[in-house]
Amino acid sequence: MSLSRTAFRAASQLSHRQPAAASFLLPRLQTRSAASTTPTTAAEAHSLLVSQRQKRPIAPHLSIYQPQLTWYMSSANRITGVLLSGTVYLFGISYAVAPWLGLHLESATIAAAVAALPVAVKLAIKATFATPFAFHCFNGVRHLIWDTAKELTIKGVYRTGYVVLASSAFAVTYLTFFA
Amino acid sequence: MSLFRTTGLRAATTARFIAPTPRIAAAFHTSQKRAILPVGPQVIDGTVNDPAPVPAPNPTHGSYHWSFERLVTIGLVPLTIAPFAAGSLHPITDAVLGATLVLHSHIGFQACIVDYIPKRLYPKLLKAARWALNSATVLVLYGLYEFETNDVGITEGVKKLWKA
Repeated sequence: MSLSRTAFRAASQLSHRQPAAASFLLPRLQTRSAASTTPTTAAEAHSLLVSQRQKRPIAPHLSIYQPQLTWYMSSANRITGVLLSGTVYLFGISYAVAPWLGLHLESATIAAAVAALPVAVKLAIKATFATPFAFHCFNGVRHLIWDTAKELTIKGVYRTGYVVLASSAFAVTYLTFFA
Repeated sequence: MSLFRTTGLRAATTARFIAPTPRIAAAFHTSQKRAILPVGPQVIDGTVNDPAPVPAPNPTHGSYHWSFERLVTIGLVPLTIAPFAAGSLHPITDAVLGATLVLHSHIGFQACIVDYIPKRLYPKLLKAARWALNSATVLVLYGLYEFETNDVGITEGVKKLWKA
């Protein structure tokens, strides 16, 4: 039996059997409430809750996740889609407002401007546009296959993923250098 | 009496060595902060016991909406292959391609807006973004109509630039 237990039992016996001895200790005790409270209005309580919530941890950043073909291709699908659609919208709006802004966006004018560029720049521009186009097209077909409830297994996702990557690489090479 | 008190004191000293008081964490969480953006406005709606609101039934939402999106996407497949196979497109087919592309883009941008601008936190920004997209789409449709009628059209235009 350890020393502390002896003392504990002795003290409990003391408090039970000898109330006089326990009351002897009482004047020395100080009492204090566990937490101090201040009255607040509902609005103050709400603003306190808001400020507390802003200090809560935020959901982890994407970079904590292991790079995997599954979610990388999913992200790439949206990014390439936004890039392609953004190009369509940028050109459509520019062409719509061109007469008022004095822009010359006729196909002949742009083609002449592109023709004046060095070959390396032309190839770079072609690759820049061909890559999101090819990837989004093939990955879109992959999504349509998934929509028929086919290839919806981890194996199927990877198999179709590699097919999309290979097809995209082939298409980009063709569109950039041979088309 | 004095015996108990001294024993109690020694016991307390011993206990401190046996069970050290736990160290208080420096902050609520100690992992590295990787916030992309600062925390948005904290909106507190009702209490924790309120049920999730049930959206009003709408025939254009749900499965019809999904099917419509798929139809647009499926339609784009032959419209994308055709100019590569035939070399060019008939002006009407070209206009259909343009309209389908804009529709597909509009749906895609809508999905992005809904995903990245939560209604609960930024209701005004969401509304503004939706209307900005709607007006942009109308403007693009007009621009492409002009391009189809006054210029060579999408497929022929892309071909021209690609061969330039």
